[in-house]
Amino acid sequence: MNPANYLRHFFQKNGMTLGLFLLVAVTFWMFILIILPQLFMVDFSLSRNLPPAELGGPQDVMTLEHYKFMIYGSAQEAGSYNTVDLGVFVRTLLAALFVTIFDLAICYPIAYYLAKVAHGGWGRLMVLSLIVPFWVNEILRAFAFRIMFGSAGVINAFLMWAGIIDQPYDFIPNNIALYAGLGYAYILLMIFPLYNAIESLDKNQIEAARDMGASWLHIHRRVVIPFAKPGISSGCTMVFMLSAGALAAPQILGGPSSLWFTQIIYQWFNTGGNWPRGSAYAIILLASTILFVLLVMKVFKVKLGEIAK
Amino acid sequence: MMADRLRKIFVIAFVIMFFAYLFGPLILMSVSAFNSSAFPRVTPFECFTVEWFDVLARDATLMEGLRNSLIIGFGVMLIAVPMGLAGALMLTQVNQRLRPWYYTIVISPILIPGVVLGISTLVFWDRLGVMFGAGYDSIFYNGIFLTIVGQSTFIAAYSMLVFISRLQRFESAQEEAALDLGATNVQAFRKVLLPFLKPAIGSAAVLAFLASFENYNTTVFTIVSESTLTTVLASKVRYGINPSISALAVVIVVLTLFGAVFYEILQRREAAATKASEAVARGETTSRAQQAALYADPAVIITLLVFLAGFGTVYFAGTMGVDECKIAVKEEKLQRAAERTKMRQSLEMFKGAAPGAQTGTAAPGAPKERAKGTEGYEGVFAPGNLGTGSDTPPKEEEKKEPEKIESPGKSQFQNIFDPANLQQQSGSKN
Amino acid sequence: MSADVELKDVWIKFGDFVAARDVNITIQGGEFFSFLGPSGCGKTTLLRAVSGFLEPSEGTVSIGGQNMAGIGPNKRPTALIFQNLALFPLMAVWENIAFALEVRGVGKAGRRKKADELLELIALPDQGDKMVHELSGGQKQRVAIARALAAEPEVLLLDEPLSALDLKLRQHMRTELRAIQQRVGITFIYITHDQGEALTMSDNVAVMREGVIEQVGDGTHIYDRPTTSFVASFVGENNLFRGRVAQADGQYALVDTDVGSLRARTTTDGDRALNKGDSAFVFVRPESLKFANGGGHENTVEARIAQQEFEGNLWQVHLDVAKSGHRVSMSLVNDGQNIGHETGANVTLGFNPDLAVALPEGPLAAGE
Repeated sequence: MNPANYLRHFFQKNGMTLGLFLLVAVTFWMFILIILPQLFMVDFSLSRNLPPAELGGPQDVMTLEHYKFMIYGSAQEAGSYNTVDLGVFVRTLLAALFVTIFDLAICYPIAYYLAKVAHGGWGRLMVLSLIVPFWVNEILRAFAFRIMFGSAGVINAFLMWAGIIDQPYDFIPNNIALYAGLGYAYILLMIFPLYNAIESLDKNQIEAARDMGASWLHIHRRVVIPFAKPGISSGCTMVFMLSAGALAAPQILGGPSSLWFTQIIYQWFNTGGNWPRGSAYAIILLASTILFVLLVMKVFKVKLGEIAK
Repeated sequence: MMADRLRKIFVIAFVIMFFAYLFGPLILMSVSAFNSSAFPRVTPFECFTVEWFDVLARDATLMEGLRNSLIIGFGVMLIAVPMGLAGALMLTQVNQRLRPWYYTIVISPILIPGVVLGISTLVFWDRLGVMFGAGYDSIFYNGIFLTIVGQSTFIAAYSMLVFISRLQRFESAQEEAALDLGATNVQAFRKVLLPFLKPAIGSAAVLAFLASFENYNTTVFTIVSESTLTTVLASKVRYGINPSISALAVVIVVLTLFGAVFYEILQRREAAATKASEAVARGETTSRAQQAALYADPAVIITLLVFLAGFGTVYFAGTMGVDECKIAVKEEKLQRAAERTKMRQSLEMFKGAAPGAQTGTAAPGAPKERAKGTEGYEGVFAPGNLGTGSDTPPKEEEKKEPEKIESPGKSQFQNIFDPANLQQQSGSKN
Repeated sequence: MSADVELKDVWIKFGDFVAARDVNITIQGGEFFSFLGPSGCGKTTLLRAVSGFLEPSEGTVSIGGQNMAGIGPNKRPTALIFQNLALFPLMAVWENIAFALEVRGVGKAGRRKKADELLELIALPDQGDKMVHELSGGQKQRVAIARALAAEPEVLLLDEPLSALDLKLRQHMRTELRAIQQRVGITFIYITHDQGEALTMSDNVAVMREGVIEQVGDGTHIYDRPTTSFVASFVGENNLFRGRVAQADGQYALVDTDVGSLRARTTTDGDRALNKGDSAFVFVRPESLKFANGGGHENTVEARIAQQEFEGNLWQVHLDVAKSGHRVSMSLVNDGQNIGHETGANVTLGFNPDLAVALPEGPLAAGE
């Protein structure tokens, strides 16, 4: 259908007013809010960090210096790498992976329990109650963890009361608080896809497998998990991407040794005063999350229609 | 059978631990809101007070941030909901081949990390501002505007999902029927489709507002020189926290609970109304009294009463006798400290060991703790433990503490470890 | 006010798929016209073309002599009753009915008055304030009709409106719809796959198969004088014998089948006329088969009774034809006695040539 014909058909179907509204709103959203800003950001990341006066002038050329910086650092000698930034980047991704696996591990049994074992009203109540903690702001939730894990906090008080330690243990430098906080933050996003996927599994299949004498491990491995694959991949994707891109939790719960990649990006914008570099780093973050999603989609053989909130 | 029972126990234990992990932090935080101790904690619980709510209300930066969050929330609602609706309607009309591409583009903001959205928004409008030669006080750099725009980008996608799911249950034949009966497209939309979408518009609007209100990752970049509630809260990491943020958490939880209960009431009333009208339709005439009973759900009334009673109790408990309690607590602390020094004094005199050695053992402990801004009680924990473990206060955080009560005492006790000041103690005991 | 509807050389294509092929039909103003055919034969597509929801790929649709090309559904003098009714669930019954007036800007009093009038017409007075979901299936049906009539169309289009109703209700509604049409006097175009409906209600019927109009005519024509094998096998029950034409004289044909030579009327002419040597089908209605043990019939068939079914007013007898083994059935009116033969008995059946039709070989309705 050629464009002119298509437009005519469109206005005929929707009328002038409605048609205009649809076109304007969708175009604004798609182009001005989604596509153009991303393109501008890419272009910006390839520009030099120049004061406004020099923009458009001879210095304003395309450059890969910001991307190079992340890999090689400011020492332009060959063979020396920006171990700090690269290290943070890799560590962030690994930590996000760890959080994802941790969340999957604790949420899968609960999702299964709620979907298949808990009965009727009680089960529904528990599902609803899952939502309650997430009414509270993520910042406040992070603070709650900080208070809990602090030296004045409950955890230390309990440990000391139990005699396990006799001095308050500082949880912050070894990132336990951070991981606990991150794991906590995205539980809802891991549980619901899992719960929905497992719930739609016909209970009879499990009964049949049990009837045939399969062990619990076997049942989960061969019946439940393959069926719940879309839910698993959806949950894992969301948790990984949100963990890798988290900013509040690392800022509030992170110690000096657990710098998060997003914090570096923030620094470039804030104290570092190098917006193009920050943009370049942001694009690297974006690229790696996209890669991860594609990887998950490939490994689990799932399509993009997995985002159902 | 044994293995079965063991498994059941294990499962129940796991579920309990999970819910403890889930609710624990919030319960603890909520409890700490009522503790008069200046740093949010649950143990030891000093005095029950509601004063932190007052502190919360007086926090000017927080209130300004709150104001901005509300403004932004409404702005986002006004923009994201219509965009989401347009997006959903467009989806039903785009031709088959283009549809997956279209869907991917409009859904992508949900997948893009929030920081990236914030940065791209900031950069885009900055570049636009440069192109138009606009100054830093123009709209291109206005934090409120940028935040509304940046947040709408992905919140419209959430709205769209809400509308898509509602539209799927719409019988498109109804719109055709309206046209067939002579309606113009606008009339068909206004009189048939829009009324059907009303509940979805409501949920999308609420969702948009809430999502905007609690957003941080995108906002922190787009807010430029302004602030929102979330950015103010996050910045408290640097400036020190007090239980007023726990108070904020309590306020939020209570408000949301109210909202949920209110919503549940509405649902029940609607269900009751439908049931009543269906009963009438079927010919069973229900008396006025029966109909009224359906509306006045006893559970609702009881819940409301409980809420009111709860509020009243908390308020009174938290305001009466707080000051006396605090004075009592302070006195108790000073008394305990005095006892400890007395015991140590007697020990020193008993041992007759070189003051230097004593301070030697005490000093490594004390300077370390002192550097962290503690009260110096920790000197007592030094190897020569005087067995006062049970009532020792936990170590304080390294942040600045507005513990005005303790500071005078602190400097006095610090001087105790200075051998030159040993004679002063007797006079400084209070 | 009612109008003629004319479809001239209409083709409707969706990409490579042809939904309607070279349709030429004229429907007189004021008549009750049905399109009859199995699912997917294109009847709904034609209806949508008449009502304006799609434009034909070729050809013209005219209503009241005026070409409707480019005119949208809201501007055509038609009203459509959808298969699932599409009543507005958020509006009361009277608001549904008065909708056509509402969009024209008629005031509330005027609309209410008109709605009440129509409620009287469909025999649902005082139900105006109810909500749609409080009504029964038959009542909703009638509201849909009233809603369409309120638009004062010149042509009323009905898309299988009775398919969701149970048997008794369906039969009752058939008479009702016909009565309403005669009272209101406008053109009704009705589509259905149920030939009983089409025959009882319509002035004329068009039988369709895969986008093609096989035959147009009134009920007796379609039933007694089908012009294609499809029509013969689709409308009503029909027994079939295959063979080859031995003789044809323009009025009758003699067909050699494996049960013998059978003589039957021919209804086709022109390039579809039967000639000697053509493959042909002989169709005989179940009610036209008689027991002929004593002779007296020109056409005879040997068969064995396989099953007898008593249906109250009729006996249905199923027989296996000797020599070919295929099934035929006959209907006998219940005259208070049993049929006179035992199951398993060998009998001779006979039929009158005037009650049988010989047609060129062609596609049959599914299930034959």
